[in-house]
Amino acid sequence: MKRVVPLEKALDDTIFGSKAVGLGQAIRDGLPVPPGVALSGAIVEAVAAGEQPAINEVAKWVGPLGGPLAVRSSAMDEDGAAASFAGQHLTLLNVPSADELGSALSQIWWSANSDSAITYRKRVGLFTRPSVGVVVQALLDPDTAGVMFTKNPVTGDDERVIEASWGLGESVVAGIVIPDHYRVDRAGQVLERKPGLKRVAVRTVPGGGTVEEKVAPELVERLCLDDDQLLELNRLAGRCEQVYGPGRDVEWAIAGGTLYLLQCRAITQAGR
Amino acid sequence: MRGAPVEVLRRVPLFTDLTKREVQQIARLFKERRFAAGETVVQEGSGGAAFFVMVSGEATVFIRGKKKKVLKADDYFGEIALIDDGPRMATITATSDLVCYGLTYWDFRPVVEANGRIGWKLLQRMAKMLREARED
Repeated sequence: MKRVVPLEKALDDTIFGSKAVGLGQAIRDGLPVPPGVALSGAIVEAVAAGEQPAINEVAKWVGPLGGPLAVRSSAMDEDGAAASFAGQHLTLLNVPSADELGSALSQIWWSANSDSAITYRKRVGLFTRPSVGVVVQALLDPDTAGVMFTKNPVTGDDERVIEASWGLGESVVAGIVIPDHYRVDRAGQVLERKPGLKRVAVRTVPGGGTVEEKVAPELVERLCLDDDQLLELNRLAGRCEQVYGPGRDVEWAIAGGTLYLLQCRAITQAGR
Repeated sequence: MRGAPVEVLRRVPLFTDLTKREVQQIARLFKERRFAAGETVVQEGSGGAAFFVMVSGEATVFIRGKKKKVLKADDYFGEIALIDDGPRMATITATSDLVCYGLTYWDFRPVVEANGRIGWKLLQRMAKMLREARED
């Protein structure tokens, strides 16, 4: 089914993938998700194949988002209990506008059909044809971003574990920095604040893509979240658990003083 | 442009016995794929499920770490993966930016399953290739 819908109307994870449906659910439940659209696996493949009607349809929906864009894969069997495709399928940040989207979708389609993805699929016993949906959102320019576990993924303790750094959250997700580490209890009491070593921040560059930018020396070891922001993150953790259930792995960002939810999924057995 | 160049596909041993129309049918299933200079295109021993035809750029083939040959526009690689989606037999690295057209096992298989004539010709060609390999 070659379809594009606003994120909040992505209901079927066999068509749009689990990330799109998860974010759609978040919007329907009032969580702060940046605006975006969900592309079905079939329309992603059609764009990758150069089909003009599909390219036009995607451009029609994505154009109003402006640019730059965050283009994230949303695989059909992604984040399942047995198989996590995190790291296999591409996310492309800072795609300048809808005009460059075709190439981005082609790269994402091939990332699901790459040799490494195929090898991984076989290892986890998946021999079906890969299909990959895509989430396209307006790209934020965050001051601070990172990940949050709504319960401790190592000890299992009932507390929030937050890792944060300057700029885009990719510096935390990709392990480029030693992020700040925080533990907060359910009541919002901060249990631990441990500054990291944040020598670089991932930032967008004009014309597309991202760059690792040197962080000013005085910010390298300065905590990048204050108590009010930790409280707000704790509230977001609670809302995510209400909507999705306990034990969530959340990607978040703070841009222009507003906290956004970028992704929410179950904590995998191995944590991150 | 949509699909792979038919004249290149007709030189691929696996497709030698197919008619031009049959090759055109397969060519339409290819999708463009680009690789940056320095990128590993395929890795020896890893799972593979796509066959590629090069449109521009240059790539180097290594087997067990030894340089074997250089691939250029109109060269192709990975055709056996279309049949068995088995492990890659060589490592190929892009020595410049590459533009390729790729066909996956999953796109190829339904064509063969739906078209007995194509399937039979491929089977005959595979038998010939096997016979030739045993004689070498």
